[in-house]
Amino acid sequence: MTAIRIEIENTIPDRRLEKWAAEARDALGVPLAAIEEVKVYKTTAGTTENLAPVFADPVLQQAHFDNKEYKFPHGAPAFVVDVGFRAGVTDNPGHAAAEALALSGISARVASGSLYFLFGALDKSGAEKVARELLANDLIQKADVYPANDFYAHDRFKNVSLPEAARTTKARPETISLDLADAGLEALSRDRCLALSVDELKHVRAAFKADLTDVELEIIAQSWSEHCRHKIFGAEIDYNGEKINSLYKTCVKRATEEVKKARKLDWLVSVFSDNAGIVRFDDHIDLCIKVETHNSPSALDPYGGALTGILGVNRDILGAGLGARPIANTDVFCFAPPDMPARTEEEFMPQGVKSPRRMLEGVHKGVEDGGNKSGIPTVNGAFFFDRDYAGKPLVFVGTVGVLPHALPDGRKAAEKQAHVGDRVFMVGGAIGADGIHGATFSSMEIDENAPATAVQIGDPLTQKRMTDFLLETRDLGLYSAITDNGAGGLSSSVGEMAQMTNGALIDLALCPVKYPGLKPWELMVSESQERMTVAVPPQHTAAFLERAARHGVTATDIGCFTASGNLEVLYNQATVASLPLDFLHDSLPQMKLKAAWDGGRERAAWSAETNLQARTRQAEGLDAALLQLLQSPNITSKEKWVRAYDHEVQAATHVKPFADGGAIWLKPHGGAEDNGVTIGCGLAPRLSLHDPYLMAQCAVDEAVRNVVAAGGDPDMCCLLDNFCWPDPVQSAKNPDGEYRLGQLVRACQGLHDACINYGMPLVSGKDSMKNDFKGKDKGGRDISFGVLPTLLVTAMARVKMGSVPASHFNTAGDLIYLLGGKGSGLGGSEYAHIYNACAKTPAIDLARNIALYRKIHAALPLFSSLHDISEGGMMVALSESMIGGRNGAQLSGTLDAETAFSEAPGRFVVSVPAAKREAFEKIFGAKAIGTVTDDAKLSFNDISLPLEAISAAWEKGF
Amino acid sequence: MMQPAFLVLSGDGINCERETAAALRDAGANAEILHINDLAAKPDTLARFDGMAIPGGFSFGDELGSGQILALKIRHALGDAFFDFVAAQKPIIGICNGFQVLVKLGLLPYPATQKRVMALAPNLQGGFIDRWVTLQPAQNSICKWTEGMEAFDLPIRHGEGRVVFGDDAVYDELKENGQIALTYREDVNGSHQHIAGLCDPSGLIFGLMPHPEAFVYQATNFAPQRDFMAAGAGAQIFRNIVTYLTETQKEKSYAGRPH
Repeated sequence: MTAIRIEIENTIPDRRLEKWAAEARDALGVPLAAIEEVKVYKTTAGTTENLAPVFADPVLQQAHFDNKEYKFPHGAPAFVVDVGFRAGVTDNPGHAAAEALALSGISARVASGSLYFLFGALDKSGAEKVARELLANDLIQKADVYPANDFYAHDRFKNVSLPEAARTTKARPETISLDLADAGLEALSRDRCLALSVDELKHVRAAFKADLTDVELEIIAQSWSEHCRHKIFGAEIDYNGEKINSLYKTCVKRATEEVKKARKLDWLVSVFSDNAGIVRFDDHIDLCIKVETHNSPSALDPYGGALTGILGVNRDILGAGLGARPIANTDVFCFAPPDMPARTEEEFMPQGVKSPRRMLEGVHKGVEDGGNKSGIPTVNGAFFFDRDYAGKPLVFVGTVGVLPHALPDGRKAAEKQAHVGDRVFMVGGAIGADGIHGATFSSMEIDENAPATAVQIGDPLTQKRMTDFLLETRDLGLYSAITDNGAGGLSSSVGEMAQMTNGALIDLALCPVKYPGLKPWELMVSESQERMTVAVPPQHTAAFLERAARHGVTATDIGCFTASGNLEVLYNQATVASLPLDFLHDSLPQMKLKAAWDGGRERAAWSAETNLQARTRQAEGLDAALLQLLQSPNITSKEKWVRAYDHEVQAATHVKPFADGGAIWLKPHGGAEDNGVTIGCGLAPRLSLHDPYLMAQCAVDEAVRNVVAAGGDPDMCCLLDNFCWPDPVQSAKNPDGEYRLGQLVRACQGLHDACINYGMPLVSGKDSMKNDFKGKDKGGRDISFGVLPTLLVTAMARVKMGSVPASHFNTAGDLIYLLGGKGSGLGGSEYAHIYNACAKTPAIDLARNIALYRKIHAALPLFSSLHDISEGGMMVALSESMIGGRNGAQLSGTLDAETAFSEAPGRFVVSVPAAKREAFEKIFGAKAIGTVTDDAKLSFNDISLPLEAISAAWEKGF
Repeated sequence: MMQPAFLVLSGDGINCERETAAALRDAGANAEILHINDLAAKPDTLARFDGMAIPGGFSFGDELGSGQILALKIRHALGDAFFDFVAAQKPIIGICNGFQVLVKLGLLPYPATQKRVMALAPNLQGGFIDRWVTLQPAQNSICKWTEGMEAFDLPIRHGEGRVVFGDDAVYDELKENGQIALTYREDVNGSHQHIAGLCDPSGLIFGLMPHPEAFVYQATNFAPQRDFMAAGAGAQIFRNIVTYLTETQKEKSYAGRPH
């Protein structure tokens, strides 16, 4: 029987697509006058009866079931693009529509899609370009482009079919022999997307066996992937002749241990062992925090990659302790500038990677949907633009969660322990081929042959239901341990939880699947989203299943925890893998690497040749330079992007994400009435070109200043580190590997020293080591380049409610001070970047900085406003302080470019009521640099810049 | 005096149930969060509540249009018990996604006929927006929830909040009836005549796009406030309905007392 096609016409104008038409004209150079959308659903429902009220709103829309020629105000369309998901790709509208039909007693499948009508004088190649770049992602969607006449010529409402994902492959495991020469092993690893080295495969052969099942080999590959195992961070490194036994142990973990000991910290509940760091800033609740990256998936499909990134880090929190409730999201994006490429430069852009603008739009929309649809406020974030992110974007997503100290049954919520005999439950979504090889793929550089199965779309509704269900069953005491299914899927989650009891046994044939035909190894390593693995004591399974059914959540008993010492995997009761846990988790020999760093280097050739020279400006006056800086994408207002995120849901957002750090009130989450927490972030990737040691310290400093400016207590502050590096392993393909690893060593040492000096522990972190593009540019030339070595530092500090000063000037007559001293050194600054100024880097004085932050925190009531100095330096911070309060500022003394625009760390622009001058100057020993005025002008040297000009430049946005 | 009992609906992607229940409790109500599937298993439970809140969120991921599938579910899974609740003239508030649900159910603006005369369309600006807005209660508003209130600020957080009428005459009638409870002081989403919230002819069923439950304390004000425990503008909306219910209970109990 043929399926039914339903088209939904908007009967009132919908202007959401206008920006796409503008983008097609501006960025793609396609003369697209207008674009209209008609939603399409295809369903196996037997009859069209009763369908219209389900699919269409009678006031806004009209449903069509027969051949229909649409009339639009723009005249006749030139082309029609018919877009639908490829088979097996998560189709959220389709799934929801099927639920809606089920409510009316109709049991049917539904697939969703869209028709786009393109208007204007464009040709077929232009229409195809619009389809490819704007309307559909070829990896997950099918887009058919028709000249409008051809489109109407055939009856699309006849012979309708839904995409079918069923596979016909046999589900039996294969045996794979490792009795191969090196070249054979290398080919095996490459062909199966294992990301295992020849040495690692030889180790499998020697320490386990030579003939193993594909399930075993895939489990090993996932568990040993750089993504899961962090082999580089754990490696023995020869650094300029000095031996370093694991950067993780000697820099990251050691920093925390030293700080904990020196400051006798009693608020570190769990660090580096669980899914997230857990700290105690409150007498009733604990806070969990985790920041992840989702770079490779976002490079392939910006929307899906970012969406699954944010939902994934939410699950990390849901899997922290016995399950924490997510209360805030953060996000930081590093992209190539949104106006890149100018059309003349397009041939230099990497092939197969989305344009910077599409990347930005897609990632932003993914984070928007992921946060908003989950009911989690986005309270902090940043955008950083540099052309070296054109081959691979960096997408950092973080989540804060809350755990009660104790659960209703008295158990500590931060601790979990599965027991022998507990059942292994897979909870949430079903398994599909989407998300196979995510962990191993992200452990390789991007080229144009990335596997389509590595792309996934998230399903916020399924995850929200699962979250509600798990938090309820947590409080009912129905499970004993929980972890998320992230990279590596069941292979990682069950493999790791099995260590709690020293064994687990599961039968993959029991797992719910999206469609039949998946092989056992695919079931085992698929990273299909929205799944948690939960240990349920046998006496609670009935109650657990009953609550799952009530929440509309799928929960499946797939095995049990054992003490066999093995991870045993069955398929229909036949063993398909049996792996000793000690072999799997502890036998991998430490990697040995060489690192060397001999000072800063210029950028790699790719970016220098294509853009750098052409884009720098001639030096100009301070006022012109300020206006130029204010409209740089790294500085300009991000308000329109931030406003697309819900930052108020859960009714606890105390400081909104427009200032320095955002802050959350803890009372609504069970905390003390006057208690809050603030989150900030810092990064300084351009300093990596000069010295990664300084880069890391400046990243720490910026994150800390963010939270100090939002009232955070520097003595109750924890940090997170997220390293995103270009491949630091030397090879014939990667001749800069040793240098990049040297940069990593320098950065880790800088991070360690900053933590020690600031007295702040690292509580969680992550690293992503293969952020490179290797392939061709659009002109067909071979290119290869990595991202700027990037360290994101996230800071979370306790804040006392009611103590947070404004971030902008608010009262004329207030005195303006610069705290932290006059800036010197333009190296790494936005000013140096725009004007190509060769400049020395700023210095950092960690001891002086932390002393200042403690003083500021103790003196918060003295401030009218407090704003940290970051991109653009002091004059930009001053301008932002004026814009927020619509004030003016009159500065005394004489400014030069270095003072005005240095991004030297450790500094703030503040304002203080004249009446508090004496008290303030006594504490800070600072002298006022000017006064807040009500004349809406920024006056300095002989210059007077109207606020409107400043605002106009800053509000340009992108 | 009994505390009025409020049902706060949850599940299927609703996500403001906790703060909505907290706001009702702070206002003096006894608020209980119930999952729609638990309610559907025992629809008679509804009868023991004096009022209902359908909170904000993204029910069913906003697929097929905001509120559409949750409205279908309420109609099919709760059925008579729900419409009996409406017929008993018990107060119902639909906030943001809850407003969209009430409109899709046809309970706003006319619960008696349930005729679909209005819709909440995608914002004219073309996307989700989170911002604070100034709201003006209408002089002639009959809404019990906003009774006696002067202009106040609340956040909006929605992508589909533009009020659209199938026929402009509906607007005139609603205005005449005092059913236009709240308007935005400026155009924020292209809504007809800046409408932010409206009520049924009894003034008891109230739908609004802004989020009163997000501003119960000054702690969540747009700008950080030192007096963070002082009441925010949203608190009064919940107090009003608790006062209304307490007063009507009093009247009922007086009426039932022998003279």
